[in-house]
Amino acid sequence: MRILIMGNPNVGKSAVFNRLTGAKVIESNYPGTTVDYTKGYMRLKGKDVELIDVPGTFSLEPKDKAEEVAVKMLKENKDSIIICVIDSVKLERGLYLALEIIEEGYPVVIALNMWDIAKNKNIWIDVEKLENILGVPVVPTIAVSGEGMKELVSRIEKASQVDIEKIVEKVEVGGGEE
Amino acid sequence: MRKKLSEMDYGEEGTVKSIEGNLRNKVAGMGIRVGRKLKMATKQPIKGPVVVTVDQYSISLGLGIADKIIVEVEE
Repeated sequence: MRILIMGNPNVGKSAVFNRLTGAKVIESNYPGTTVDYTKGYMRLKGKDVELIDVPGTFSLEPKDKAEEVAVKMLKENKDSIIICVIDSVKLERGLYLALEIIEEGYPVVIALNMWDIAKNKNIWIDVEKLENILGVPVVPTIAVSGEGMKELVSRIEKASQVDIEKIVEKVEVGGGEE
Repeated sequence: MRKKLSEMDYGEEGTVKSIEGNLRNKVAGMGIRVGRKLKMATKQPIKGPVVVTVDQYSISLGLGIADKIIVEVEE
């Protein structure tokens, strides 16, 4: 099993990665570009699982080299699980990418990272409702302090593929509220 | 009043009205779409990028991109 950690740039993907792997990281170079990705391992239910820290991207339509690497890695690892890290303050643009990944048919778990910063900014996200709409696990996390990491790990196996049409239906039923 | 995003003044607020065709997808990933409210935060001199605030975060856009986004500015 392989897990890819994806998300917008600067949302804490590497912090999540280091938490999950215990920072036992191996640096590696992706051929043909100067962009690095990091690979590590974690134990999940007694099995070694490979984790890849993918460069940040805003969407699956690459605009630069780093994003090209991210998209290429996603396409080359068809049977992996994706941990999509979202900056809770920048929920909308994080969800944009998450939905694109779900649409491609990957099983996704969402980590609402920087939960503490969002709270300080008086941003409150209805996690249960979001989970209901998306049909994938959504876990609030604070990667730098490790909060929510245990729950994130425990729910990786619950990640499943979701039909994007079902999400669209639910959003329409829910009305156009922001 | 409608104007280009690149023509907004400091501190001016507005709502995105239209985005030129193929740019739409490019900026959507950054959280800019039609109907989105934004505020001009900084304009860099010598045709430099502009920085706008959306919700509680900042996005910087090249002037070429900011030229192609039309905003309805609050009077």
